[in-house]
Amino acid sequence: MNPYIPEIGKPVPRADGAAKAAGAEKYAVDHYGENLLWAGVRRAGVAHGRIRCVDTAAALQISGVIAVLTGRDVPGTNRQGIVHKDQPVLADEKVRHRGDAVALVVAEDRATLKKALSLIRVEIDPLPGVFTVDDALRPDAPLVHDEHPQGNILLKATIQAGGAQAALEGCDIFIEETFHVPAISHAFIETENGVAWQEEDGKIVLVVSTQAPFRDKWEISHALGLPMDRLRIIGPYLGGAFGGKDGATVQCLLVLAALHTGGRRVKMWWDREESFVAGYKRHAVRLQYRLGARSDGTLQALHCRLYYDTGAYAHLGGEVMALGMEHAGGPYRIPDTLIEGWCIYTNNPIAGAMRGFGVAQVSFAFEGMMDLLAGKLGIDPLELRLKNALRRGDRNTAGVTMTQSTGVLDCLAAVQNHPRWQERKAWKKAAGPFRRRGVGIAAVFNAMGYGRGLPDSALAKVELTKEGRIRIYSGVSDMGQGNATAFVQIAGQILCQEHTAIELVQPDTERTLPSGSAAASRTTYTYGNALIRACEELRRRLTGRTALILLSDTLDDLELLPGRVKNLMSGREIPLTALAAMMTPEDRVCISQFIMPVVRDKLDTGKEFVIGFPHLLFSYAAHLVCIEVDELTGAINVEAYLAATEAGRVLNPQAFEQQVHGAIAQGIGYALSEEVLMQEGRIVNPDFATYIIPGALDIPEMVSLAVETYEPTGPYGMKGVGEVGMNGPLPAIAGALADACGVHMTRSPLTAERVLAALSTPPPP
Amino acid sequence: MGVSPLRGNDKTEYLPCGEEEHRVTSPSKGEARRGRGFYDGWYYSGLIMKLYFTLNGKKTTLDVAPDRRVIDVLREDCGLTGTKEGCGAGECGACTILVDGESRLSCLMLAAQLAGRQITTIEGMAGKDRPHPLQDAFIQHGAVQCGFCTPGMILSASALLSRNPRPTRADIRAGLSGNLCRCTGYQKIVDAVEAAVRREEESA
Amino acid sequence: MTQVHLPQTMADLWSCLDGDPGALIYAGGTDLLVKMRTGKTAASPALICIDRLGELRDVRETAAGIWIGAAATHTELLRHPVISTHLPVLTQALHTLGSPLIRNMGTIGGNICTASPAGDTLPPLYILQAEVELRCRDNARILPIREFITGPGETQLQQGEVLTAIRVKKPAGYNVHHFEKVGQRKSMACAVASMAALLRLSPAGMIEAARLAWGSSGPTIVTDATLEDTLIGKKLSQETLTCAAQRIRQIVTPIDDVRASADYRRTVSGNLLLRLLDAQLQNYAKLPKEL
Repeated sequence: MNPYIPEIGKPVPRADGAAKAAGAEKYAVDHYGENLLWAGVRRAGVAHGRIRCVDTAAALQISGVIAVLTGRDVPGTNRQGIVHKDQPVLADEKVRHRGDAVALVVAEDRATLKKALSLIRVEIDPLPGVFTVDDALRPDAPLVHDEHPQGNILLKATIQAGGAQAALEGCDIFIEETFHVPAISHAFIETENGVAWQEEDGKIVLVVSTQAPFRDKWEISHALGLPMDRLRIIGPYLGGAFGGKDGATVQCLLVLAALHTGGRRVKMWWDREESFVAGYKRHAVRLQYRLGARSDGTLQALHCRLYYDTGAYAHLGGEVMALGMEHAGGPYRIPDTLIEGWCIYTNNPIAGAMRGFGVAQVSFAFEGMMDLLAGKLGIDPLELRLKNALRRGDRNTAGVTMTQSTGVLDCLAAVQNHPRWQERKAWKKAAGPFRRRGVGIAAVFNAMGYGRGLPDSALAKVELTKEGRIRIYSGVSDMGQGNATAFVQIAGQILCQEHTAIELVQPDTERTLPSGSAAASRTTYTYGNALIRACEELRRRLTGRTALILLSDTLDDLELLPGRVKNLMSGREIPLTALAAMMTPEDRVCISQFIMPVVRDKLDTGKEFVIGFPHLLFSYAAHLVCIEVDELTGAINVEAYLAATEAGRVLNPQAFEQQVHGAIAQGIGYALSEEVLMQEGRIVNPDFATYIIPGALDIPEMVSLAVETYEPTGPYGMKGVGEVGMNGPLPAIAGALADACGVHMTRSPLTAERVLAALSTPPPP
Repeated sequence: MGVSPLRGNDKTEYLPCGEEEHRVTSPSKGEARRGRGFYDGWYYSGLIMKLYFTLNGKKTTLDVAPDRRVIDVLREDCGLTGTKEGCGAGECGACTILVDGESRLSCLMLAAQLAGRQITTIEGMAGKDRPHPLQDAFIQHGAVQCGFCTPGMILSASALLSRNPRPTRADIRAGLSGNLCRCTGYQKIVDAVEAAVRREEESA
Repeated sequence: MTQVHLPQTMADLWSCLDGDPGALIYAGGTDLLVKMRTGKTAASPALICIDRLGELRDVRETAAGIWIGAAATHTELLRHPVISTHLPVLTQALHTLGSPLIRNMGTIGGNICTASPAGDTLPPLYILQAEVELRCRDNARILPIREFITGPGETQLQQGEVLTAIRVKKPAGYNVHHFEKVGQRKSMACAVASMAALLRLSPAGMIEAARLAWGSSGPTIVTDATLEDTLIGKKLSQETLTCAAQRIRQIVTPIDDVRASADYRRTVSGNLLLRLLDAQLQNYAKLPKEL
C-alpha cells in the first residue's frame, strides 16, 4: 500500500492489521523463552470452606517441579483487588468460591505441572454456602467475608431525585415487573496468560494480557509487598478482553512464581476451562421495577430495587452497580426517581467488569418497562420513547444536568425514518409456515469514563526519533477496540506525516506513561485528548527548532510536511532526520496530560459511591431488530439489525462500525444463548461446547448508522463508542418477541426452550 | 533463516523447524537431551518419532513425541506462533491450519499425523513480497479487530475459496462457521472474503 | 507419553492391534481427543490413527446399495455424488454436523462408534436401515445399526474389532426426504432434538410409506414401527401429524441436561413432525418421482 497521511475522519485501516493478518503480531500468549518454566494453580473445588491443610509433599517429590507455594508463601498482604483488596492471591484460611487459588506450582513442563497439581492434597472443611442474593441477605446467612462489617452486603446505595414513592401513587398508569439476567462470560479467544522473570538487578518483568498495566503494578505491589519500582509490566495487544482482563488475573500469581525461579522465565496460560472457572463474569442481577406515567405516556416516577450478585470477591462490583443504578431510568426524563441497589457477596464465581458495565443489565429492564407501558397505553413504542427521550439541558434520572452532547432523539429519528421501521407491517405479514415475525426497538446509552472520585487521566508521550520518525508511546492497552489506530490518525493529522513514518509503542510501564485502564469507553477520548496536546506541542517545538536552523524570524512561515519542515516563504526545508540529529533526546519528546471533565452538579444523592458516580458524558443508540420465531422449536432467528449510534464525531468510520458490529454480536449472544449455568457455585458449562457464543451463521447483516453530534470536550468532537451497542440487543429482541407473539419475557437469555414454554402458556386473562 | 541445514546419517538434507536447531534425540539413547529453543518436555524416552513433512513449502523433519499436539509442535517447536489456541477442544477454530490444502483443527491433531503432509500455517500464506489477497482484504475491509481469530479465519476462507471460488455471502458464513470471533460480529470478515473474490475475478 | 500408530494398510492395522490390544482407534479425533483431554476417556498407552487407510474411505455403488467406508470424512461424503444423489436425508444431516473444520476431520464411522444419542448421522442411518461391517483380523460380521448401538456411547464393538464400513440400500420410492436438527446455534451445535423422515406420498397427498427416526430423545435413536403403520393410508395433514406427534411424545425418553430439559425435547420431538407439512411443499416438487 502506498504511503498515505492518516487523518481524522478517514476510514484508516488498523495500524496493527497487517501484522495480525500475517500472524506476526506477538500477543502476550506468544511469548515463550529459553529454559521456560510453566506455572499453574490448584483451585479449591469447594465453594465455601475453611482450609485445614494443603499438603504439598507429594508434589514436591516429582522431578521437574521447581516450587510449590501456598498462602503461607505469599509475602505482602496476600490481598489483590482493584478498589477493595479482598481477594487472596493464594487462599489462606478460607476458600470462598470453587475457583479460589489454593496452591501455585512451577514446573519444567506442562505435563509435570499437571501431575504435580493433581498430587497436592487439599483438605477443606466445607462451610454452608450462599448462592443466591436472597440466601446471602438472610439475617442468619453464612458470611462470605467474616470480617466484613455489612455482612454479605458489599455495598448498599441509593440514588434519589424528587420524591418517587409519593409520585408513583399519583400516576395515571402504574406498571410493576421483575427482570432477571444471568452471569455471562467475556469468552475472549485469547485466555488469561502472561510470562514473568526476574532480572539480575531484582526487577521483575511481566508480559501479560492486561487492560491496566500501570494499575497492575499497584495491585501486585500491594498484594506481594514489592516496591513499585521493582516491577515492569508490558502490555501487548490483547486477543480480546471486554473487561475480563481489567484487574489482576494471572499477574500476582506469576510475579510470585517469578520470585522462585532463580531468574528463569515462567509462563502461565489458563486453558479455556480454567478461564471459565477462575476468570471474571458479568454480574447476574435481579431488577425490580415500578414505573408510573401519565396517560399520555409522559414518564413520572420510577422506583427500582437492583440486586447485583458480585460473587466471592468485590472486584469492581460496587462500581458496576453504581453505573447500573445511574442508568436505571434509561435515557429518559423522569422527574421522580428512587433507585436502590444492593451489591451482594455470594460463593459464586467472581463478577467484575464487562462491556456495558452494569448497564447492559438495567437496559433489559428499563426498555422492557417502556414496551409494557406502550402496550398498556396503546401508544407506538417508538413514539413513547421520542416523547420521553433526554435532550441537552434536561436532568437525567441520576439528577445530573445534561450539558454535553445528547443525541438519543436523533438516533430514534434515524430508526423511525428507516425502511425497516416504516415497512415493518408488510414484513411481518410475510412470515412463513410455523413462523412469526416481530420488530423490536430499544433506546440505550452508556456513560464514558470513570466519573467523579477518580481522575480519568492520560499522559501522552510522543517523540521525534533519531531516525526522523514519529513514535507514539501509548499508555492504554489496545484490546481490539482500535485506539492505537486513532492515535496514529491524530499524530498524522497534526504532524502531517505518512503512516509509514509513524510508530507505536504499546503500553510498557518503563517506556510509556500511566494513562488509566482500557475501560469505560474512555481510551480514545482521554488519551486522544492528551495526544492532541502532545502532538501540537511537538509541532511547535519542531518548527521552533527549525527556525533556529533555517534562521527564520517567525514561526508562521514554517510548516511540518511529510519527512521535513519547510519554510513556505523561502522554500528552504530541513529533513526530520537532520532536525532530529540536532536536537537533544529530551527535547525530542513531548509529554502532555489530559483529565476528563467531571459533573459540576452538586448532588445530594449517591453518597455511598466513593468513586464512579456521576458521569458527565454519554453515548447513545437506538436499535431495531427484525426477528422470526419458530413456533415448533421456540428458536428466535435474528433476520436483520439496525443500529443508529451517537458518539459525537466519528474519527474513523471503519473503526466506529467495527465497534458497533462487535457490540451487537455480543449483545445477541447475551440475548439468546449465553448464560453461565451454576449449581451451588459450580459452573456446569465451562467450555465452548456448552457456553454458546454466536457463530457466523447466527449474526445477521447489520446496518450501522453513525448519528453525529459535536462533543466540544472530545478529541475532534468524539466520544467513546465501545460499550453502548452491547446494551441494545437484549431489550430490542425481547421487544420483537413481544411484538411477534405477545409474550413478554423477563428472564434472559431468550432461549428456544424458554420461548417455547412461554408460547405454550396461555396468556393471563 | 541463518541456520545451516542439518545432515542426517542417511545424507538427507533437512531443515530445522523454526530458527532454533532441533534437538536430536535417539530412541536408543533413552533419556532425551534438552536442545535449544522452545522445546517443552524432557520426559521423552524410547518413543520419539522422526517425521518428514512439508511446512509452508519447506521440507521439514522433526524428532517429536508422536502424541504431541500439532498446535504445540507449530507454536513451540517451530516457533510459528501465528496459529492460536482458543479452546483446545475444536470448538473455536483459532488453531486452523491447512493439511494438504484442507482446513483442519491443529489442536485436535497429533504430531504423528503430520507425516508426509503439506502443512500451511498463516505464516505460509503470504507471497514472496506481498500479503495474500485474503490478508490484504482483511486489513483493508476492517476484518481485523483484536486479530486473534484472524489467522484461523484466513485459512478457513482460503480453504473455502479453493473449493468454491464464487461463494455467496451465505456460503462464506457457512464456510467460516467453525471459526468463532468475539470482536467483529463477522460482517466485515464476510465483506473481506467477498472483496478477495472480486479481486480474483477482476485479475483473471 | 502415548504411542501413536499410523497404519498404511489393513495388514498394518491388525499388526498394531496385535501389538497394542488396548489401543484406541481414531480417524479424525474430533470425539476421542476431546474426551481424552478432559479425562472422560481414560488415557491409553497407544492410539491408532486410521486416516491413512484409503480403502476405508471409499464409497462404492451397486445397483441396489451403497457401501461407505467408515473412515470417509463427512466432507468427503458431502462432496460425493453417489451420496448426494441417493441419500439426501444423510446429506441434509451432514450439512448440519459441526462445522467445515469438524467435517473435514470427523468420519461417519466415528460418529457411529461414538454412539451419542445426538449423533447427527444416526437418525438418517436408522431410517436408511443401515448395516455396519465389523472386521477383526480373521473375521467379518454385519449388524443392523440399531443392534450395533446399544446405549449412549455403547456399541457392540468387540476388542480387536474395527468398524470398517456402512452399507445402506438406496431408498426407493420415497418422495419426501427430510432431516431437521435443533441446536443452540446454527453451527457447532450438539443436537437437542432431531428428526429424519422418508415418506412416499401419493399425488393426492396420502401417505403410502413412512420411515421416521428421532435423535437426542432417548438413550439411542428412537423409531416406532407402530407409529409408521398408523400413518399409512392417512393424508399428510396437520391433523394426522398432530396425532402422530402426541404418540411420539409418549414414546421418547429424553433426559434433562445442560443443553435442554427432557420436557423441551419431548415437546419438540413431536413438533418436528409438523415440519413435514412444510417439507412436503419443498421436497415433493423437487425430487424425481420414482415409484
